Amino acid sequence: MDPECARLLPALCDVLADPRQPVADDACLEKLLDWFKAVTEAGSSLLLLQDHPCLVELLFHVLKPQDLSSRILSFALRLAGIFAAQENCFQYLQQGELLPGLFGEPGPLGAAAWAAPSVRSGWIQGLHSLAQHPSALRFLADSGAVDTIFSLQGDPSLFVASAAGQLLVRVLDLALCGPAEGRISLQAWDWPACARKIVCHLEDCLRSKATPRVMQALHVLTTAFGHCHGLWTQGLWVQLSPLVARLLEKDPVPAPHALVDLLLSVARSSMLSSDPGLWETAAQTLSHLSPTQAGPLAAGILKLQDCPQALRIQAFGVLLQPLAFVLEATAQAPGMPGLLEGAAGDLMAMDTLPPSKSACVGLLCSALAHLELLQPLPQRPSPWPQAPLLAAVVAILRLCNGSAAPSSEAGGRLCAMLGGCVRVQRAALDFLGVLSQGLGPQELVTQVFAILLEYLVSPDSSPTVLKKAFQATLRWLLSSAAPPGCCDLEPYAQLVLGELLSVLRKRLCSPCWEVRDSGLEFLTQMTRHRGGQAGFRQALLASEVPELTRQLLQDPESYVRASAVAAVGQLSSWGLLAAPSSPEHAATPQKTPLEELLLVLTTDSEGFPRRAVMRVFTEWLRDGYADVAEDPERFVARVLQAASGDLDWEVRVQGLELALAFLEQLLGPCGPSAAAPPGALAQALQALCRVQLFEFAFRSLFDCDRPVAQKSCDLLLFLRAKATPPSNSQEVGDGPDVTSVEAALRRWQAGEQGQLPQQARQAASRPCGETF
Amino acid sequence: MPEIRVTPLGAGQDVGRSCILVSIAGKNVMLDCGMHMGFSDDRRFPDFSYITRSGRLTDFLDCVIISHFHLDHCGALPYFSEMVGYDGPIYMTQPTQAICPILLEDYRKIAVDKKGEANFFTSQMIKDCMKKVVAVHLHQTVQVDDELEIKAYYAGHVLGAAMFQIKVGSESVVYTVSGNLGHRKGCLVEEREEAPPHHHILCQGDYNMTPDRHLGAAWIDKCRPSLLITESTYATTIRDSKRCRERDFLKKVHETVERGGKVLIPVFALGRAQELCILLETFWERMDLKAPIYFSTGLTEKANHYYKLFIPWTNQKIRKTFVQRNMFEFKHIKAFDRAFADSPGPMVVFATPGMLHAGQSLQIFRKWAGNEKNMVIMPGYCVQGTVGHKILSGQRKLEMEGRQVVSPHLSLPALWIPLGWVEALGTTTCADGPHTAMLQLEVKMQVEYMSFSAHADAKGIMQLVGQAEPENVLLVHGEAKKMEFLKQKIEQEFRVNCYMPANGETVTLPTSPSIPVGISLGLLKREMAQGLLPDAKKPRLLHGTLIMKDSNFRLVSSEQALKELGLAEHQLRFTCRVHLHDTRKEQEMAMRVYNHLKSVLKDHCVQHLPDGSVTVESILVQAAAHSEDPGTKVLLVSWTYQDEELGSYLTSLLKKGLPQAS
Repeated sequence: MDPECARLLPALCDVLADPRQPVADDACLEKLLDWFKAVTEAGSSLLLLQDHPCLVELLFHVLKPQDLSSRILSFALRLAGIFAAQENCFQYLQQGELLPGLFGEPGPLGAAAWAAPSVRSGWIQGLHSLAQHPSALRFLADSGAVDTIFSLQGDPSLFVASAAGQLLVRVLDLALCGPAEGRISLQAWDWPACARKIVCHLEDCLRSKATPRVMQALHVLTTAFGHCHGLWTQGLWVQLSPLVARLLEKDPVPAPHALVDLLLSVARSSMLSSDPGLWETAAQTLSHLSPTQAGPLAAGILKLQDCPQALRIQAFGVLLQPLAFVLEATAQAPGMPGLLEGAAGDLMAMDTLPPSKSACVGLLCSALAHLELLQPLPQRPSPWPQAPLLAAVVAILRLCNGSAAPSSEAGGRLCAMLGGCVRVQRAALDFLGVLSQGLGPQELVTQVFAILLEYLVSPDSSPTVLKKAFQATLRWLLSSAAPPGCCDLEPYAQLVLGELLSVLRKRLCSPCWEVRDSGLEFLTQMTRHRGGQAGFRQALLASEVPELTRQLLQDPESYVRASAVAAVGQLSSWGLLAAPSSPEHAATPQKTPLEELLLVLTTDSEGFPRRAVMRVFTEWLRDGYADVAEDPERFVARVLQAASGDLDWEVRVQGLELALAFLEQLLGPCGPSAAAPPGALAQALQALCRVQLFEFAFRSLFDCDRPVAQKSCDLLLFLRAKATPPSNSQEVGDGPDVTSVEAALRRWQAGEQGQLPQQARQAASRPCGETF
Repeated sequence: MPEIRVTPLGAGQDVGRSCILVSIAGKNVMLDCGMHMGFSDDRRFPDFSYITRSGRLTDFLDCVIISHFHLDHCGALPYFSEMVGYDGPIYMTQPTQAICPILLEDYRKIAVDKKGEANFFTSQMIKDCMKKVVAVHLHQTVQVDDELEIKAYYAGHVLGAAMFQIKVGSESVVYTVSGNLGHRKGCLVEEREEAPPHHHILCQGDYNMTPDRHLGAAWIDKCRPSLLITESTYATTIRDSKRCRERDFLKKVHETVERGGKVLIPVFALGRAQELCILLETFWERMDLKAPIYFSTGLTEKANHYYKLFIPWTNQKIRKTFVQRNMFEFKHIKAFDRAFADSPGPMVVFATPGMLHAGQSLQIFRKWAGNEKNMVIMPGYCVQGTVGHKILSGQRKLEMEGRQVVSPHLSLPALWIPLGWVEALGTTTCADGPHTAMLQLEVKMQVEYMSFSAHADAKGIMQLVGQAEPENVLLVHGEAKKMEFLKQKIEQEFRVNCYMPANGETVTLPTSPSIPVGISLGLLKREMAQGLLPDAKKPRLLHGTLIMKDSNFRLVSSEQALKELGLAEHQLRFTCRVHLHDTRKEQEMAMRVYNHLKSVLKDHCVQHLPDGSVTVESILVQAAAHSEDPGTKVLLVSWTYQDEELGSYLTSLLKKGLPQAS
């Protein structure tokens, strides 16, 4: 321990023990515990206590009946736990009867302080910390702590109840894992008494008619199977799985969420997933629970690498059922493939969907979300019913925007429930976007683009829905890998492009900044990926979109300005930012995009657009954008000048990033044999001096903001690697030049900041091997 | 039975990050999503795993509501929406939506820069999160879905702060986290409203139900919510008068400037800064002072921009005079340039951030700290670990981080010891990066703390409770002991239940739903005919037939019900036998019954009919001999369902026996 800290420790303990000096903030006690934990992890707790008796005195002090705050008592309990985690220290504290005093009946358990949740929480956390060794296990068993933990599982505080469950798992693990683990029987009745007691308690809970007790047991088991990997977990599952399966006989099934979590936790455990009974229970659970309750289990099963095929089919059926119902309820003509064929399809009744609107919306949203997560996974169900899924999502979106004309009664009911429902719209658009990976038959693809356009055009679409509609459209437009049997997207993309740009033009003028921003993000991504395609270029140039984008550089909302910067950057890179054709603009010379972005960099009051400009500039420099390539030195000099004085440290960091890109262009990328040839290096260094890169880099070394200084170091180290032949790298720095550079920098630092540190510059511009 | 459940994940008996889960009749709402600046690990955010345990976040939560832009109320939002994965709607007022990202961005930069934290939310995440926000206008009822609606009320406190009413059916909850009650504990990039630990705050209960210099007073209508959730930070705090504090502030600034010193006022760009600027501007004007006043570069414009944009959110005076003169365009206060810090002569500088933990305010502090003529005035609370907190705790020698360039070949010791640093304590070294040197700064300048919080104390909270007339009150964002005091006060004065759950504790309130029932005119007229005028405060029993049709409830007379439903009336009579041991004849027995009932039921019409039976309203009593026991008589009591109450009473009366004949 730091001597200064050791000196302060007694005073600290005095303050903590003094009820007249209340500790105002829990955070400082938390941090103090963090510190004690770090100290004890690094050394012996016993020595710590022996060297600093004030700590033991503090722990004894809290045992005295007094008006001590609950947070100090809680702190002391946790602190004692941290110390007692080491067995010799545990025994030291035991000798003083301190631990029974703190954690046993005579302690806070029987006192009024126990009413404070923080004290109960401290008690649990203290025990959790000390439950590390056999002595601790004996203590837990003998002190009656386990019974208290049982009762705390039903604590009114979620935090305490949850921590109690975790502590039970810890105790089980401690009792059954250890040197004797190999000798532990798989039969729970042969286990140590403490473990047997916990298992009996769990059995009682699982048999209980009270749902909260069942839930407590399920939570403990979920934690045990999720976090412990000892052999004993097998024994525990063998012992308790019949009781878990019996829960399904109750109507309604108690604690369905917790049951699902447990089954998934067991299924994911390599120790337990080989039990065939597990899959049987899972299958029964899928059929006993309501579709909403069963959804997470179904999704979890489908994400497993290994599980019986029949169960996977059943699970997939659960997720597909709501969509299958929608599809059937909205079917205009027979012949369309259904989502659930065969037995599952026949079982689908009119009352598949819940009667209340909110329950129906919830079910649809969760089914869509689960399917969205499944689609990209390699273990997703195969064959993947892409076409009916597409049809179902399009149908849902139509029901939501009122463009569906359902002919059936069920369709009408759905129409009434989903009309205008933003929540379903968002979920459906997300899933539709993901489905772009699989494409689909021609007719459906047409419908997809049609519905997306409807949403983009509709004045009723909320900004969040529009954002998702833009994202889904982008995914469909960029999807090009057409698998056999699916149509080629390109003709559709071309077909909708005109309409899309017209919508985009409108959306870029939206009064909502969120909409303008989503439009610009869409445009940037489209241009990035399709900027070279003739059809896209033609359509874009014929629209007013580029000009509008340029105007949005002056948007009142900084986020929009930043997105406009990114869009202008992309458009310019592809030569799509044509000069305005209207006569009023003809008289005044149009600024180049470079000049416009420089203006943003130097004048914008917000950091977000300025950072966007720096990203664009770096990209331009790396990609050899024409205006930059014309005179890169001038470009870099101008940008560095602007960036170096920026108040936003991220702009300065990006300035250094741009400088690094410039260096790479001059000297080649960094690598193991990176030294540049002497001639090229000399020229490069002169160029660096001309663009005043050294001023910027040296100033950045002393920047108040750490990342700027770090980036500057990266840059200078890069330069050193380029300037120094590998054989000299160990010797550099000992030469006389270092002193002169240091002296120059000192003078510069002392007040000549505006001036280029001549000596440093000279030193820097000297040929390789002499500097750095 | 619908119920309201409230579980604070933060701000339950503490003043850390605010995050309260409310469940009303199956609808789940998260109130605020704050962060704790005291931590730089997982503990800085609320533990959302308690929500994810119930399934997908977006499926479980119907919406998130943010009361105001302070980070302990909104700081975890980008983490929650972009990293934990909540994709549902977030509601806040327009000014909060505008200012929130600035603060989040500010904090992100500090977290990444100063603390070097990775895995923090990015700028893009802040933007994406803000795009999920739905702006709410004051007093606008927003329909979240068919069942859940919310409504915002003006809270004063800070620009855009709002109280929210959340309603599901007839149940409602009002969340008044600020309402000028709020303080912002734990914010690093903003002010906090609490006195430093060593200060005792002077007292006077001046809860800000009155407007301050730039914001109006909190207001809520008599909405009689099922539950009022209120912040209780100042539950027991009584403060000195605002005018005294202002006078004191001006005096201190004036004295320092007069003796040629410089005054540094570290502030957050929005909020209290404007309040103090208006104060100084007016004073400078009145006193014709010449010393320059500066405000951090760029921030004046930003603040001005927002105040202009949201002028309806400011107080009446500012709104009224705005057309002639914008109160936020100051004559004496100019934009600050970093070179001004070295200028000789007196000056006053408002600089950000407010806790002297980074940026311009810290740079100026470093320059001015060594001169005893200078003064720093801290107008708000400072988080532990900041320079602001240290100097407020009385520290006069500060260990501070300096930086020097270190590479094996380039070493520049002590380059960065600015004015006022007296000795180097130690130096750490690292292989190839900048490293820090711990240096000591002696603070000779005067340090003053003056709390200018948008304050609410016990009186203010009580006032608000009185105004809203809730059925229950729940206290959050305060210390347990203070809450206990306020809880008792509320329970005594308003006779309502008051709760103060700790973090993680769930309070469940059973509610008795009020079901609106339409009453037919005929039935009402009949009631009126009895001559009793309706009184809203006195519930009254009304007999009729309840018709439940198409989710509508109507109470009509039985005649009307029969007519409407096309039903024929059936007479239903209840009959009961009462056995009494009596040897007298039946007629004599009937007479005794008649006399007894007549003496007991004075308000009713009791008749003795010629056939020997006795009637009371529709109730018929007949005496008969027992077939097997001549010493026992059987009283046959029969009544219609309309007289059910009287029939039951009469039967119980007769069962007790008849009084002995005199």
